[in-house]
Amino acid sequence: MQIDIPFIFMALIEIFKALPLTIIITLVPLIIGFLIGIGITIIRIRKVKGLYSLANFYVSFLRGTPALMHIMLIYLGFPLLIDKLAVTFRWTFQSTSIPILLFVLMALSLTAGAYMSEIIRAGILAVDQGQLEAAESIGMTNFQAMRRIVFPQAIAISLPNLCNIFIGFLHTSSIAFIVSQKELTGATNIVASNNLKFLEAYIAAALIYWGLTIISEKVTALLEKRVTVYNRGGVI
Amino acid sequence: MDITLIFDFFPKLISYLHITLLILVAAVAIGLVIGVVIALIRIYKVPVLNRLAFIYISFMRGTPILIQLFLIYFGLPALLTLVHIDASRANPLLFVAITYGLSCGASFAEIIRGAINGVEKGQAEAAYSIGMNEKQMMVRVILPQALVIAFPNFANSVIGSLKDTSLAFTIGVMDMVGRGNTLIATSLHALEIYLTLSMIYYGVVICLEKGFSLSEKKLQRFEGSLSAEK
Repeated sequence: MQIDIPFIFMALIEIFKALPLTIIITLVPLIIGFLIGIGITIIRIRKVKGLYSLANFYVSFLRGTPALMHIMLIYLGFPLLIDKLAVTFRWTFQSTSIPILLFVLMALSLTAGAYMSEIIRAGILAVDQGQLEAAESIGMTNFQAMRRIVFPQAIAISLPNLCNIFIGFLHTSSIAFIVSQKELTGATNIVASNNLKFLEAYIAAALIYWGLTIISEKVTALLEKRVTVYNRGGVI
Repeated sequence: MDITLIFDFFPKLISYLHITLLILVAAVAIGLVIGVVIALIRIYKVPVLNRLAFIYISFMRGTPILIQLFLIYFGLPALLTLVHIDASRANPLLFVAITYGLSCGASFAEIIRGAINGVEKGQAEAAYSIGMNEKQMMVRVILPQALVIAFPNFANSVIGSLKDTSLAFTIGVMDMVGRGNTLIATSLHALEIYLTLSMIYYGVVICLEKGFSLSEKKLQRFEGSLSAEK
């Protein structure tokens, strides 16, 4: 076995250039997913009629199928839908002009929404009921109590889970290479097949992903210290 | 898009379900062995090995399964040529089983370690106080309780691995997704095929969830019985 160590360094630099796209494919779905998650959580906690079972099905279906399926279904299905609408409404718009990246972001946002809603729900349910009662007793409206009292604490409780989902999505973003996105894994594939050095290229990619994961774990540990400051006494 | 095609594709794809399940079962079996060994190394803090185990878990947690799959697929045959074994023509299924096994091993190790540490210390002291030795204490008192704590996480991890197996086709394994891709090449009905695949995955995940939650209830039948007697 021969491993070309200098090539690993070269590949490292080459692959690293694809980092911005990986960050986009990781962060955008998480941010949109967070908003979807809040909506779904409100529906599920308030038990909104009609939407409740739909929200349950959404969460269960997306959590029960691989992310690859979501990407492929949106990537294959959405253009058909657009084209059909274009024909009925006589748009001059063509689905082929939509970049594939947009489909990936849409699909992963839906995936993230399902996972986020579970995390947010667990966080909100973990906040002591007395906190809400105390907030209402000093005259806050339900919305104020949620926004100022319950939500910040729920986020603090969910922080480790949020870090996990960030790492999870950092890794999930690698699937985007299947629909020919040039993020870290896609770039690795190109570097590997251009130089016919597959093992070295994938070692380089593994090192980058590993480094990113360790950095995000360290950042979370720091954040956790700051966010849970309220919890470390002081009053009593 | 032709919804009725789903009924055509369904039998064709589900006949490859056993490959997907085979990967899962092999991965879980390999993962359990690795997981128990690594967890023991981490709990008893075996010098040197503890450090290696830490790096192994960190690496497996820190890299996408897709990258691990390619690393094993390209790296293992290269490693084996050192001992003069030609693995370049081995069934890709083997590489998939090893990769998912290693990946399961890392998550199982953390789950087992967490569960054993999660059993109250007083339980071990109580076992010692009635004259059990360390092995008896472990096997009869700690492990059964650790199992109850570990089970929900274990179940989640298995379901996660099932979903990860959908990536095995990238190195040419003929599982459900691999078969689906060959069907796409001949029939050009990609959307219907992915819809069918999603339905099969969803069905299997629901069955697994139901099975796990039944077993969990069975495992927990002794929980809380002490407080009921009070």
